[in-house]
Parts: sequence; structure tokens; C-alpha cells
Amino acid sequence: MDIVIIESLKKYFEEDSGQVKALDGIDLTVEKGRITAIIGASGMGKTTLFNIIGGLYRPTDGKIIVDGVNLADLTEDQLTVYRRRKVGFIFQDYRLLPELTIGENILLPLWLDDSRPDKEFFKELTSAVGLAHELEKYPAMLSDGGRQCVAIARALITKPSIVLADEPTGNLDAKSARNIAGLLKMTVERFRQTLILITHNLELAQLADRVVRLRDGRVV
Amino acid sequence: MEIGKCKQIKHILILSAAALILTGVLWEYIPSAGIRVILPVSGALILLLVLLWDRIIRRQQADFANDICETVDDLMAGRVPEKYRPYEDSSLSKVQGKLLQYYDRLREGQWQSEQDKQTIQELVSDISHQVKTPVANLRMFTGILKQHRLTEEKQAEFLETISLQVDKLDFLMQSLIKMSRLETGTFTLHMKQNSLYNTIAQAVNGIWAKAEEKSISIEVCCDIDTTVRHDPKWTAEALGNLLDNGIKYTPKGGSIQISVRPWQFYTRIDVSDTGMGIAPEHYNDVFKRFYRAEEAAGEEGVGLGLYLTRSIITRQKGYISVKSEAGKGTVFSVFLLAE
Repeated sequence: MDIVIIESLKKYFEEDSGQVKALDGIDLTVEKGRITAIIGASGMGKTTLFNIIGGLYRPTDGKIIVDGVNLADLTEDQLTVYRRRKVGFIFQDYRLLPELTIGENILLPLWLDDSRPDKEFFKELTSAVGLAHELEKYPAMLSDGGRQCVAIARALITKPSIVLADEPTGNLDAKSARNIAGLLKMTVERFRQTLILITHNLELAQLADRVVRLRDGRVV
Repeated sequence: MEIGKCKQIKHILILSAAALILTGVLWEYIPSAGIRVILPVSGALILLLVLLWDRIIRRQQADFANDICETVDDLMAGRVPEKYRPYEDSSLSKVQGKLLQYYDRLREGQWQSEQDKQTIQELVSDISHQVKTPVANLRMFTGILKQHRLTEEKQAEFLETISLQVDKLDFLMQSLIKMSRLETGTFTLHMKQNSLYNTIAQAVNGIWAKAEEKSISIEVCCDIDTTVRHDPKWTAEALGNLLDNGIKYTPKGGSIQISVRPWQFYTRIDVSDTGMGIAPEHYNDVFKRFYRAEEAAGEEGVGLGLYLTRSIITRQKGYISVKSEAGKGTVFSVFLLAE
């Protein structure tokens, strides 16, 4: 069952030096409940693809269907709701709010959607990522690895359709990176999530059930 | 606003309106006639507004319930819900989204069983392909033995070839049985906090003789007290496959190292060799069923060892990764859940 279907997707940027073809006709499907790694060197279109799947950019041309809906047809307001309900984001730099506690950071996407948390799920999720006893602490009190654990829990708390991770171990030392990579795999599999992993790290990509390579804005 | 709270406010407003009307009617001693009129009239107005508000709320609730019922009806009939607006910032869209998510979970089961059927078909095709060559060889050599008068020396040579083919079939059969047990889940993992040192020792014992034959040294770096929650028998099998692989593809006089590092969420076991290595583009392929690299064609094997290893580790909620440098060696890292 494909949860993401991408057909002839193009994204061009107009720059002073001329047109930059970040994505130049991509065809790709992502299977539900699987881990798909999108790999490629810097500047090959990975982050642009991440932003389009996450509803942060609009494509120049082509189709991007997530959970049966073409994102190109959505209004700005609808895209905001899409990002809130359907996508869990994990960034390289965690993007936690320093003034909120760990527990509050995790629950933030639900608050933004005016939704009540599933208390049992919250307990299960926070203990799966090893944060059950850290909920009252603030992000600054955790290690980099710990902060990424918070970001993983925050991405999963809304039970989204897809979890998007952009270089989730990019800011971590080798040991924490492997730890977090394993944890990410374990949690998405345990909670039956679909993970799209954007990375240039071939070792991290091995977590995936499928690896897609991008080069010069195309799938190779 | 919550329904309970709405009702509470409604009751307060009705009581206030009634109090105002009553006060206006009974308050004979109010000097101003204007106030005597204003009190019951405003009370009546509040009452009217409350009734109107109540009606609107009831209407909204009924519409909401009807829309949900229609969504459920559509889902039960296998249709895409007509009124589904997935990305509207409304309560209806939110509930519909959850209902569809639930419906998808139910459908996943059905889809999985279809996938299983397809896997079985592919498996049968793979197996018949694997069995074909040894069976053809057996047929050919037994045919020659039956139809031709051969010297004793030649007969012994052919019988030896037949015996090798039977061994190959036997090995394939054993691997297939293990694979079938892993895939169908017809075995129970005995997951307990067990000594990892003992499990590694068990795996090393199984391949010691082969390593000695090729003068390959095996070094184990594991704290004797390290314990991990795992099934010792199957984990030893998985590690044994990695070691067997290492020995196969490491030239004479090489070395194999096993090192264990306990981490926060996982315990990492590295099995590194000084063999021919694996090209990065084949990192994922080596774990595929019946995959054999071109460079590995000269070695015995059916391409199930690493596939089985990965299945065993995954069943224990762990994972495996590989890192390699052509001509220098390969490191397989097994990650077992720390608790």
C-alpha cells in the first residue's frame, strides 16, 4: 500500500544566476509502514523533496499525493492542517522550544491542533524513547541525543501518516548517532509508522527497508 | 466548548431569565413603572435567545452526528467518504481523519495477508531455482554411473561429486527450514537476560575448525559479565552466520574480531573481518534472500546466511548494519535491545 505517490515532480528555483532545477521530474512511491531512505550528496534535491512532502514547499509541476490527497491542490490553510495532523517532523537541529518542558514540547503539536492527548499512548511513547522520568526537565538540561529523543516523541505524538526525518543524526557524535538511529527505527516500527529518512549517511540509510538515491534532482 | 459546560451556562441563563421575569411581575414596590416593564421584557428576551441558541447547538450536533454516520456508512461500503475534507480546520474533519486512520489499520491486515501470499509465490520460485542445478547434476552423474562402465577411480570421483551435491541440497533444506520457521513465526524466542559472552562463545565454537583450516585468527573482546535480553540459541546462529561469512571471504592468514559495546538503548556487537569487502551500493542487497555477489561466486553458499541473520535479529527487535571497505574488510554491527 503506497502512502506517498510522486509523479513527474519538479521544483525549480529562480535565482540571479538563472533557473535552478532542484527536482527535475521525480517518480517515487513510499510504502505504508516501511522505512524509506532518500540518499544523495548535498545539493542533489533531498531537502527540497523533504520540504515538498512535508507541505512546506509547493512543487513547480507534477503530482505529490499523500494519503490520497494531492498536496498541489491544497490551499495554504489546508497545508497548515496537513502539516499539523499528517506529518511528524524530525530535524537535524531538533527545533525544541527552550522555554517549554520536555513533556510540553512533546505535546505541543496536539495543543496546536486543539486536541487532547491519548494519555496511555503518551506514557508508552515517552518510556519507549527513555524520557518517562525527564518530562519536567527543560531541553537545555538534556544531551544532544536526549533532545533528539524529544523530537522523535514529538513527531509521533499525533500518530501522523508519515514521519519525515532530515539528517536526524547529523548533529550527534558517532555513538549517540547510532543510538538515536536504532531508537528511531525501533519506535517507528513499534508504533507502525511510515518513516521517510533523508540522509547522506549510508550507514544510517541501512535502517531503511528501501533506499532511493537522488542525483541532480532525479531518482537514480 | 464542552457539551457539559454549555448545558451549565444554559441552565444559569434560564434561571436568571426566570428570576428577572418573576421579579418584574411581583415587584409591586418598584417606584418606576419603566423598570417594572424592562425586567420581565429583558428576562423574556434572554429566554428567547437561550432557546434559539439551544436549537442552533442541537442542529449542529445533529449535522455533525449525521456527517459522521455518513462517513462510517461510506467506509463500510468501501467508498471514499463523500464529505471527507481531510485538511479543513474543523472538528468534523478531525474526527473523519481519525476514523479513516482506524479504517486503514483494519485494511492493513487484509493487505498483509495478500502480501504473504505473494511472498510464498516468490519463495517457491526461488526454491525451485535453487534446487534445479543440484538435482540436474545428480541426474546427470547417476545416469553416467548407470549407463557407462567406468574405472573404479572415475566411479569414486563421480560418487564424491554426487555426495557434494547431496550436501548442498541438505544445506539448502536446513536453511529453508530455518527460514520458514522464522517467516511463519512457528518458533518461540526465549527472550531472557542472558550472558552475551556465552552466546558469542557458542557461535565461535561452531566455526573454530573452519577458521583454523584457513589460519584465520579470531579475537573476542567482550566483558564476561555483559548480559542482554536475547535468545541465546538463535542469536548464536545469527552470529555464527556472520562469522562463517567472514571466514569464507577472508583470505588465509587473516583475522576476525568480535567486539561488544553496551549502549543506552542497544548493545552493539561488531563482527569485523579482513576480507574482500562489500561495495557500498550492495550494503542492502547482501541481506536479501538468495542474493550472491558476483565476487562471491567462487565460494560455496546459497545466499541465505545474512538473510537469516537479519531475520533473527529483527525478530528480537534489534537491527543489523554493515560497513565495509573494498579489499580491507567488513564490519557487521548487530544491535540488540539493551533491556
